[in-house]
Amino acid sequence: MNWKVNFGVTAGVCVLLPFMVPQYSLTVLIEALIFGLFAMSLDLLVGYCRLYSFGHAAAYGLGAYSTALILTQLQPSLPIGIVLAVLVTILAAIPIAWICTRSTGISFAMLTLAFAQLGYAMLFRFRDVTGGSDGIVGIPRPSGPLGITWFQGKTGYYYLVLGCLLGSYLLCRAIVRSPFGAVLAGIRENEAKTIALGYNTRVYKIATVVLAYGFGGLAGALYAAFAGFASPELFFWLVSGRVLIMVVVGGAGTLIGPILGGVFFVFLEHELSQVTDLWPLIFGSIFIAFVMFAPEGIWGILTSRFNAKPEVPNSASGKETSDAAA
Amino acid sequence: MPLLECKGLVRRFGALVAVDAVDMSLAAGKIRAVIGPNGAGKSTVFNLITSVLKPTAGEVIFAGENITGLPVHVVAQKGIARTFQLCHIFPALTARENVRIAAQARDDQRWRFVGGGRVLSRSAAIADEALEHMRLTRFANVSAAMLSHGDQRLLEVAMAIAQKPRLLMLDEPTQGLSLEETDRAVQILKGMLSVGNLSVLLVEHDMEVVFKLADDITVLHRGRVIADGLPAAVKANAAVRSAYLGGSE
Repeated sequence: MNWKVNFGVTAGVCVLLPFMVPQYSLTVLIEALIFGLFAMSLDLLVGYCRLYSFGHAAAYGLGAYSTALILTQLQPSLPIGIVLAVLVTILAAIPIAWICTRSTGISFAMLTLAFAQLGYAMLFRFRDVTGGSDGIVGIPRPSGPLGITWFQGKTGYYYLVLGCLLGSYLLCRAIVRSPFGAVLAGIRENEAKTIALGYNTRVYKIATVVLAYGFGGLAGALYAAFAGFASPELFFWLVSGRVLIMVVVGGAGTLIGPILGGVFFVFLEHELSQVTDLWPLIFGSIFIAFVMFAPEGIWGILTSRFNAKPEVPNSASGKETSDAAA
Repeated sequence: MPLLECKGLVRRFGALVAVDAVDMSLAAGKIRAVIGPNGAGKSTVFNLITSVLKPTAGEVIFAGENITGLPVHVVAQKGIARTFQLCHIFPALTARENVRIAAQARDDQRWRFVGGGRVLSRSAAIADEALEHMRLTRFANVSAAMLSHGDQRLLEVAMAIAQKPRLLMLDEPTQGLSLEETDRAVQILKGMLSVGNLSVLLVEHDMEVVFKLADDITVLHRGRVIADGLPAAVKANAAVRSAYLGGSE
């Protein structure tokens, strides 16, 4: 299995998709890719550091509202607006990360949830700026720089989102395979040992939370500019719960898995919500089924047929074997 | 000047005095064993030196520098590597990756978060060397969880030597091993210690192991030092004998 071939084929199919489906289906495709990006950003925390954030909606909401405010108030070109929104999200994430990483486990989950709900509450407190429960509507997609307009249409916007997803994936992949990423694996496996080896794990965790917020903020920014509005629901804990489910169902700790999880759930919701009002019930059933029967997730199921388990040499307590090895 | 010096270390847990005014020193290039019956305070002394626990009183001087109460990761960066009594490894990672992460801890560019291929490869080279020393090379690509308990303990020692420490601290490296495994571990440790000019502090319950490895011995009993000296002298010491036989003092 050549990674580059698979990646190339998948990317090629994604590039050709707009020519194969009708225009109205592109809406679902774009949302699916955005949620894939959002779920992947959470995977950095859940899959690589085993930090269960139950407030990742904060990243999404921060990205979306920053984009909404920047594009409606400052009116820069769309790419500049998105970049600025991501920077705002990252800056806001630094103190949040600093506080949340003081704890681990369930209290980490609760602290992240608290920050997301704080954001939600502040939207209603500062309704002059945020529009309160109405949110911010009429977000434009300004052209430029250099008079570029291709991303203003639906097909063009699909490619913008696809490009952001691919770029983010390659960057995240580089991060988890770097020396930094190796330390994250250490933190996941045994944090006390990682500290004893001489790593200041707190700094690594803060950096990872900030990175996850950055990519999550990018997803939120892309969503706001696409939907044309930002509403308080983006900050709500249901969003945090949904994205956590996407990560687990997709396959935590694989980056690709959560992207598939996000895409899968957006499609599923789209199809089921046309047929029945009971789709959250089906959502929940699928989640339970995965946790019980396939904890490695969608990506785990897909890859397990190709990866045979490596053979383990006999353990060397016997004298003959140790001599043979020496 | 000794490499490591403990001056009047005290550690209380509530009413219990686990470590009581312990003085101890280790000269560079020597192997000192800390022995004593269960509950003598051996592991507590280890945890005080590596700052996992803060002393109630007393000081730890390492290479002329007071390191008492520094954060654990800072102490490690000074060049003190340790193993834990209850084996601490990264179970889901391969043996090589376990040791590689340990080696990378002392690399100046360990922070690299994109690229960093050279950091990875030079740490991997150090890791392979350490695995070779511990005779674990053929397990390099096996996940640590699959190794036998004895090999896991050796793996943790490999991680410690990959840190290129100035002081190596081993906390009961043969704990929970069968007689056969213990012999093999002692043989490997002895081989490793004789090659490098390492300074080692060794906590050990098994007297046989201690007499095979140590240059000097400190005997702890109920948190106090009751004997300190060459193995032969300690072996003959009456107080040590009564402590080990459970007799009254």
